[in-house]
Amino acid sequence: MIDRRLIQNFDWILFLVTCILAFIGVLTIYSSTKTLPFKDGALSALPYYIKQMIWVGIGLVSVFVILFIDYRKLGKYSYVVYGFSLILLILVLFIGKSGMGAQRWFSLGPISFQPSELTKLFLIISLAWFLSEERITPMRLRDLFQPVFFFLFLPLLLVLKQPDLGTAMMIFFIFTSMVLMAGVRWKSLLIIILPAVLTSPLWVKLFWNSLKAYQKARILVFLKPDVDPLGVGYHIAQSKIAIGSGKIIGKGYLSGTQGQLRFLPERHTDFIFSTFAEEWGFLGSLVLIAIYFFLIFWGIGIAKKAKDRFGALIAIGVVSMIATYLIVNVGMTLGLMPVVGLPLPFLSYGGTSIVTVFMAIGILMNVKMRRFMLFY
Amino acid sequence: MKRGIEIINRINRKRILLVSLFIALGFIIITLRVFLIMVIQHNQYMKRAERQHQKTIHIEPLRGTIYDRMGRELAVSVELESLYGVPSEIEDPKFVAAKLSSVLGMSYHSIEKRLEGHKNFIWLNRKLDPNSVKKIKDLSLDSKEIGFLTESKRFNPKRSLAGHLLGFVGMDNQGLEGVEFAYDKELKGEVGWLILERDALGRNIFPSKHNYKPSSSGKNLFLTIDEVIQHITEKELDKGMERWKAKGAMAIVMNPGTGEILSMVVRPEFNPNIVGSYKSSDWRNKAITDLYEPGSTFKVISSAAVLEEGIVKEKDLFDCSKGEIEVGGKIIRDAHRHGVLSFAEVIQKSSNVGAIQVGMKLGKNRFYKYIKDFGFGEKTEIDLPGESYGKVRETKKWSGTSIGAISIGQEIGVTPLQLLVAFSAIANNGYLMKPYIVSEIRDHEGKLVKSFKSQVVRKVISENTSKRLTDILRTVVEEGGTATKAAIEGNLVAGKTGTAQKIDPETGTYSHQKYVSSFVGFLPADDPKISIIVVVDEPQGAIYGGSVAAPIFKEIAEQVLTYLKIPIMEQGHSLLLSKGP
Repeated sequence: MIDRRLIQNFDWILFLVTCILAFIGVLTIYSSTKTLPFKDGALSALPYYIKQMIWVGIGLVSVFVILFIDYRKLGKYSYVVYGFSLILLILVLFIGKSGMGAQRWFSLGPISFQPSELTKLFLIISLAWFLSEERITPMRLRDLFQPVFFFLFLPLLLVLKQPDLGTAMMIFFIFTSMVLMAGVRWKSLLIIILPAVLTSPLWVKLFWNSLKAYQKARILVFLKPDVDPLGVGYHIAQSKIAIGSGKIIGKGYLSGTQGQLRFLPERHTDFIFSTFAEEWGFLGSLVLIAIYFFLIFWGIGIAKKAKDRFGALIAIGVVSMIATYLIVNVGMTLGLMPVVGLPLPFLSYGGTSIVTVFMAIGILMNVKMRRFMLFY
Repeated sequence: MKRGIEIINRINRKRILLVSLFIALGFIIITLRVFLIMVIQHNQYMKRAERQHQKTIHIEPLRGTIYDRMGRELAVSVELESLYGVPSEIEDPKFVAAKLSSVLGMSYHSIEKRLEGHKNFIWLNRKLDPNSVKKIKDLSLDSKEIGFLTESKRFNPKRSLAGHLLGFVGMDNQGLEGVEFAYDKELKGEVGWLILERDALGRNIFPSKHNYKPSSSGKNLFLTIDEVIQHITEKELDKGMERWKAKGAMAIVMNPGTGEILSMVVRPEFNPNIVGSYKSSDWRNKAITDLYEPGSTFKVISSAAVLEEGIVKEKDLFDCSKGEIEVGGKIIRDAHRHGVLSFAEVIQKSSNVGAIQVGMKLGKNRFYKYIKDFGFGEKTEIDLPGESYGKVRETKKWSGTSIGAISIGQEIGVTPLQLLVAFSAIANNGYLMKPYIVSEIRDHEGKLVKSFKSQVVRKVISENTSKRLTDILRTVVEEGGTATKAAIEGNLVAGKTGTAQKIDPETGTYSHQKYVSSFVGFLPADDPKISIIVVVDEPQGAIYGGSVAAPIFKEIAEQVLTYLKIPIMEQGHSLLLSKGP
């Protein structure tokens, strides 16, 4: 299955960049959790950074597993797997573990698992598969009904039910960028966008009413940050203090005060960027953002050079997923976005998130690796 | 394969560009935002961060020492340990409270109450004696739960010596009275600090970087006070207090030529080491804060004025044979009936009738001018806190009897210091000096920071007048004067007695039981080295200044002269016993 050309085409640069990001993640998790007591429980007794290293290891293994499988084969089974992940999303609503006002996790013995993370990945593959089969490009309005229902409406419904605003946003962006990439007629686009914009107050109202109180509060605080600096606004205020007090060169590794002294909440998960920025300063943050920028445009390059439409769409899906993660997460720590609970890819602590982004990178590498392959 | 080769189906590059632009826009926005927060606005966030996580611990400096003029310690700081508790770390407050209560001599419940809760720092007992510290350390309690911090405590090794003058400090070593208060800024030194970091739960964390500024010790003061003279004055005043069963007493010894205060004593005594065991009214330095009617000692002021103005000469006669005089419809009597007296004799025998005639010759305007020139009704500006202005009414507020009353030292309020300063001007050829108590400020390495020199306030009377007045005042202690008991063998004392009736606070009239007896003088009369005032409040058994205050004056003066090795004069010839100071 793997021949020498595949090994020659192994994307070392992408692999290296991914590893650098994961390494920065482990370092930052070490810094931000060294004052935290470990949770009880056998596996949980390990420090966070060790656990993260284990997850990174699992992520690396899954990268290689994915590389063995031709991405086109993934496409064939993608509908089944996607369907399965939707079922998991339904199940999590009933038997999932709730935490922080949302029902998102499965508890599997010592570890917990968030199906919505995987859903994104399967959505990318199956949507790419679906769109690559589409003969008519650009798509007309009626060509859109099917994908909108299966790849946007259905997962959005299930994810919002949890409710998981971040994943919903993510799915929306992935879907939009992939469909745009596949090609939609400008006229059709206008037909969708114009009524949507005109009726938007109604949708906003409907959406607003469907939100839980804490979500409403987060959005309100985002719109008016000074409303409640000690309550809901605390996250954003503390995040901005941590970032701002890092100044140009930062306070130094392990010397961040806001992170180390626990003022910053969720500092090893959703707000890990704030911890990083505090310790490494503006220059460090610039370097970090540049690494992501490189990664994403490397991914776009893969999409451009992909052998086929399917591969290109997968690459675009993965790229837009990572870009959305990054921009929403960093935007959130900077007070540009409401707090929606999206992790920073490769850096944030969390098994499902790490494994998901590594698998995504694996798929990207898969596309790149096989761009010179002849199809059978 | 159903689709075959799909090279032609590769996606449109324009669309890739579009998506790329959107992503790039997102990157630009977050990068600009990062730039805004971390580069443009970082000071604002830095301040907020510091406010949140920094806690400044002040390190108290060692308070400077107060020395007498010879460098003898009057007030020092000793380092003692204070016990603190960290309630947030204490697991079993009951256990700790039970252990501590017996050693500290505090009730179990009061300790337990303080140890409960989640504070990070509470004082349990401050400035403990070394013995208790050892006992507590022997309990070997968790050092996270309780601990010691070294604090300095003010201690006056000579106890009550110069207690009123030195004053005292509060628990945080802030000067509250006396020299401690007046020179608090110099004595206290500069507070150092240690910035502790604090986490979101309010727990202190020792900083990774040392953010520490050591305290710098306070400066040392050198007073004009001489410990020995202070001791002599206190001892003799105590004897007098006991002998006359007085309510209180005050005495000041001053160098008339410079204004240096050599001793200043207020009784009842006050020991700054145990401030709490005295009534707060006993803390005051009454020698500068409290007013009294000077009585006959004030006759010297009008005398100085008439001599200076040339209105009266020594030999001018005053008819005092009636033993009483009417002023503004009020009769004022002499204590003893005299005949016709010369002006000098009026002073020598302290005739009220004569003094009033002198005062009336002077007239109220000129009298008022001299009262003010001698410094009454004004602060002497001595470097001590709480000084009174005194009570001198303007002439337009004088009644018909005022000129008579003031001539004999009534209707006027002075502090003992004011009166001594005025007398010292007579001793000092008419130059009124500003009294002062601190001569030098030195840093803890002994380097001179500031020194104080004597200051002339003004010239009140001429040299000639002061010599003539001194000659009259010498007769007071001679045979026929009111204060023969103030005479010193072989030395020439110039002075004046005073016996003032106190105003009964109930009736508002002069009391016939309560007197203030005083004597103020200087010596050696021909070359004054010291001036002394002795004021005895409500003596029992005798009332006259000549009987009560003059002997105390004499005792103080004799011993101080011996101590200062001031040559004794005999029959106008100087016999040098030893070198002067």
